[in-house]
Amino acid sequence: MTTDVDSKAAIAPAVAAFGISKRFPGVIANDDVNFDVRVGEVHALLGENGAGKTTLSNVLTGLYRPDAGHLEMAGQRVSFDSPRAAIDAGIGMVHQHFRLIPTFTVAENIALGAPMVGEGRLMRMSNIEERIAELGEQFELRVDPTARIWQLSVGEQQRVEILKVLYRNATTLIMDEPTAVLTPLEADALTATMRSLTRQGRSVIFISHKLGEVLSVADRITVLRQGRSVATMDAAGSTRESLANVMVGREVERVQRRGTGALPGAPVVLDVHDLSSDGDRGLAALRSVSFSVRGGEVVAVAGVAGNGQRELVEVLAGLRPRTSGQIDVDGEVMDRADARHPIRMGVAYVPQDRLGTGLAPDLSIAENLVLKRYRRPPVARPPFLRSSVINAEADELMERFDVRAPSSQTPTRRLSGGNVQKVLLAREMSGNPKVLVVSTPTQGLDIGAVATVHQLLLDAAASGVGVLLVSEDLDEVLALADRIIVMYEGGITGVVDAQDATVASIGMLMGGGQSSEEVA
Amino acid sequence: MSIASRVGLRLEPRVENPRWMNWVVPIGSFLTALLVGAVLLLITSQNPISVYQRILERGFLDSGSLSGTFISATPLLFTGLCAAVAFRVGFFNIGGEGQFYVGAVFASGIALALGADAQSWIAVGAMVLAGAVGGAFWAFIPGILRARFRTNEIITSLMLNYVAGIGATYLIFESDSFWRELGGTGAVFPKGKIIPLTAQWPSFNLGSLVVPFGLVLGALIAVWLHVLQKRTRFGYEMRVVGGAPSTARYAGMRPSRVIVSVAMISGALAGLGGAADVGNFRHVLDPKGLQQSGFGYAGIVVAALARLNPLAVVFVAIILGGITNAGYALQGPDFPAGLVGTLQGLILFCTLGGEVLVRYRIINTRRQVRAVAAS
Amino acid sequence: MSVNDNLFVIILASAIFYGTPLVFASLGELLAERSGVINLGVEGMMLLGAVCAALVASNIDGPAALILPLALVAAMAAAGLGAAIHAFLVITLRVNQIISGLALTIFAGAAGLSSYLANVWGLGKNPAINQFGRMNLFGLKGVPVLGPIVFDQTMLTYLSWLMVVLASVYLFRTRMGMHLRAVGESPQTADSVGISVVRYRYGHVIVGGMFAGIAGACFSLTIVPTWANGLTSGQGWIALALVIFGFWRPDLTLVGAYLFGALSSLRFTLQARGIDIPSALLNALPYLATIIVLVLVSNSRISRKLGSPAALGRAYEREER
Repeated sequence: MTTDVDSKAAIAPAVAAFGISKRFPGVIANDDVNFDVRVGEVHALLGENGAGKTTLSNVLTGLYRPDAGHLEMAGQRVSFDSPRAAIDAGIGMVHQHFRLIPTFTVAENIALGAPMVGEGRLMRMSNIEERIAELGEQFELRVDPTARIWQLSVGEQQRVEILKVLYRNATTLIMDEPTAVLTPLEADALTATMRSLTRQGRSVIFISHKLGEVLSVADRITVLRQGRSVATMDAAGSTRESLANVMVGREVERVQRRGTGALPGAPVVLDVHDLSSDGDRGLAALRSVSFSVRGGEVVAVAGVAGNGQRELVEVLAGLRPRTSGQIDVDGEVMDRADARHPIRMGVAYVPQDRLGTGLAPDLSIAENLVLKRYRRPPVARPPFLRSSVINAEADELMERFDVRAPSSQTPTRRLSGGNVQKVLLAREMSGNPKVLVVSTPTQGLDIGAVATVHQLLLDAAASGVGVLLVSEDLDEVLALADRIIVMYEGGITGVVDAQDATVASIGMLMGGGQSSEEVA
Repeated sequence: MSIASRVGLRLEPRVENPRWMNWVVPIGSFLTALLVGAVLLLITSQNPISVYQRILERGFLDSGSLSGTFISATPLLFTGLCAAVAFRVGFFNIGGEGQFYVGAVFASGIALALGADAQSWIAVGAMVLAGAVGGAFWAFIPGILRARFRTNEIITSLMLNYVAGIGATYLIFESDSFWRELGGTGAVFPKGKIIPLTAQWPSFNLGSLVVPFGLVLGALIAVWLHVLQKRTRFGYEMRVVGGAPSTARYAGMRPSRVIVSVAMISGALAGLGGAADVGNFRHVLDPKGLQQSGFGYAGIVVAALARLNPLAVVFVAIILGGITNAGYALQGPDFPAGLVGTLQGLILFCTLGGEVLVRYRIINTRRQVRAVAAS
Repeated sequence: MSVNDNLFVIILASAIFYGTPLVFASLGELLAERSGVINLGVEGMMLLGAVCAALVASNIDGPAALILPLALVAAMAAAGLGAAIHAFLVITLRVNQIISGLALTIFAGAAGLSSYLANVWGLGKNPAINQFGRMNLFGLKGVPVLGPIVFDQTMLTYLSWLMVVLASVYLFRTRMGMHLRAVGESPQTADSVGISVVRYRYGHVIVGGMFAGIAGACFSLTIVPTWANGLTSGQGWIALALVIFGFWRPDLTLVGAYLFGALSSLRFTLQARGIDIPSALLNALPYLATIIVLVLVSNSRISRKLGSPAALGRAYEREER
């Protein structure tokens, strides 16, 4: 009996899913998902946003219980009714948004919730620190166990996340979009770590929607589409095109910048000169940045998140004081740090946090559409607001921007991500802006909504608005921009014409390197 | 198996709210509270049916009882509006109690200062104004501290309740102040001066029903607040600041300014309550009576039950006023003090719990697990 | 005149006496807040504890050594039950923590259940038969300076010292304490490593309530032995301020509690000495001081860094679509 189990385990996959289904009100997130992860392989789960990757990883880690189907590990049927059960079975999750406590030390974060080893009633951090050092040695993941999380770089924090699951003797590591927050260099280091893990008999489930990195890192790839597992294939025999077609299920159509952007004589609508500002911790986050945007032009700001992009757009929107520098909008000086001032001067701004900053979630679509115009006629007849005008304008804007909702009185918190973004763009464009600043406008949207949003941005540019697009998605940047500004550690490392740009050249600049293709 | 899965309860946000819930849930919560109260009464060997019956009779049904209920409802209406308007913007003003006292001090002060020669409408108008100013001033303190220093307004406004109570007590019991009656029996038993007849607020007689001016004023203000919140620019700012402060900043609003303004409006409402208490009912500054009544705290119950809707505050204030009125009338060995507050608290608990039914669907996860196990 | 009649010694000794309930109450609130739950029901829970302790201490005959612990247990049970209502509403039903806590104080407070029970049980006519008296520990009461301050306190004070030490060790030296802090800082993180956010929150809110119950018993069994409605006179609210003042640390909270104990006792000590300061001013002093301290603390940069648990006041729900 035992030998039978043993021989079975020797060939059995590390983790296998059989017919996993999970429903939420109105959505089937996972629908009969099947795949298996071999011992010592990197297995990618590839799919678009909304394809069911996150739900599946929540099932694997015991956060959700599947409505149907089951999991097996090493040939044994398992069922997790809590995250702890999954951890005990050897599954470790490296979250995209790190699950770390900034005020705790590395060792404390790693030991959190882990079973006690050789310890009395009181904690002994020294034992834990030793063990962390050992693991760091074994898997080449070096980090100071006594440092506090907030002192670490993003790459180091990710190492802590990985150490955390290794400390719990995880045999299978799930990594959810692990490169999203990394520079290309840090991403290479992560690939090396994955190789080191699989060499030592661990398995990695690598969740991603990026074709390139999946092809270069994974051994096998399971593609998810609309909640179903549509195919599992070897990475060796696959190409970008074949994967893309399986992933999307139809020919991939992309919005692509057609014309050449601004006309040569188009006026400069946004001129930023020597701009500096502090971040939330009071340290310089934006260091003498200068650039300009012409009417009808799309200028993209590329860079890994946290390199000053947020501070830049907040200063432009009047939400963050600057420490030095000048901003001119259409030839006029913007001189007050006050959110009303840029609005009046014609700076429209679509923030990254759409529901938390861009909209009042409990207010209706109609009320949100006048958020920046409620003070003046025709919307206001002081001290009153004219609801007839507000509702009529809402109906018109919803029609024009194709916002799909039961009515203009629906609270915006009930809308899907794509419709939320359309409401925001409708409001910002309705103010007849000169400049449109958008921050990561398609993050988390499904592919149809992405295309719509891209088209709306190009329409805005075509109507003569200068568009400043801040994005971490290089494909998006390359598809839409006329010029690309690359930011690193608060400064601009290069400005590149879109025609001359490649992923590789921009990647270099994002990591702080200089590019030979740099254009002044 | 974890506890959560054994209990088998999970909440899931509702996509649609069936309309019937807006009626059935509050009424159900109210009945549940009465049921729990009945259990409590039984445990403490009281007869719940007779207690509830007497509350109903003395609060609403007996001849003249409704007039008494209106008197009890008036201060609750003002403090209820005070809490409702402040909570709406996320300013947790627990200081209605103190703002009520300060309003009473200011209003009685101005009435005494104007004397018996002032025309009645001037005296009453001045009291309304003085009460509002006093309350607004007292609420301005926690408001500005929150706006300038991010000081927790719950605790500061509450501490100021005690300070106001001690201050009012000082005026009557520990000093020879302008408010204190020093002649007659006042020389022996400390008490306040009675305000002149001309400053006493009118009441309107509708047959056997007596409606105090304060209640009418409060109801008018409730309507005004409703219009302010729903139809004006300022009300729009209030809703954005209350629900989404960072969105308000993004849209160029000034959340601190809105919050301080609302704090002062809120305080002014409680102060008006204090003015009404002196003008319409007590006709004297009575610190002990004020502190025993606890109108400010009860106003929080009123506001929460009315879900911060000013028009609903009028309705809820009259219901709770009825219970309070019955409590005054019945107080004695088989209707102990504290019962009214206990019932109010129970109603509040049940309503808060009931609101969850409106926001979420409750899913029995245990049944789902069994279904999976069976398949 | 002996050293022990020195005004400073007397104020310090009575600061500890009057500060003891504040130590218990703020320690309890601290535990709840460390788990991420604000409980504004402290005043109500204290009064519930006070009334139940008073009932046991004045109505049951028996040796004090038996009755007094029993009274404490009753106080803890009653206040713990009150806290459990709050826990159920805010943790399971995700009701707004502020409103729910206020509801608890209104329900149980000076005009609510505690007064009702006191009236039904006929408390308030006579002082409690059994009280926690001053101990004269090891007979060292007469020792200069330290005697009255350290050795002439009640059992409850010594218990509170023990609790402060235990709470500090628990929070910063044990695994459970670390888990508790994690739940308060980032419930998502705690949940992801298998710590039950719900259990930790329920546990600490209820235990926190029990501490508030002991704080209430301090009033009905020592400070105000004859029942009066609302005898805690707002000390529960001061306890809330003390948690902020003490940066969510037990040791600093103790210091704060004694500071306020000193202010509360000042009117008795000064009046006994015939020093003439308007009593209204002295009465208002603790409340005014609370406001001033809160302003100072909330304005300093340190409190924002060291300060409140990051998830304080927020209901936790797993991200579900």
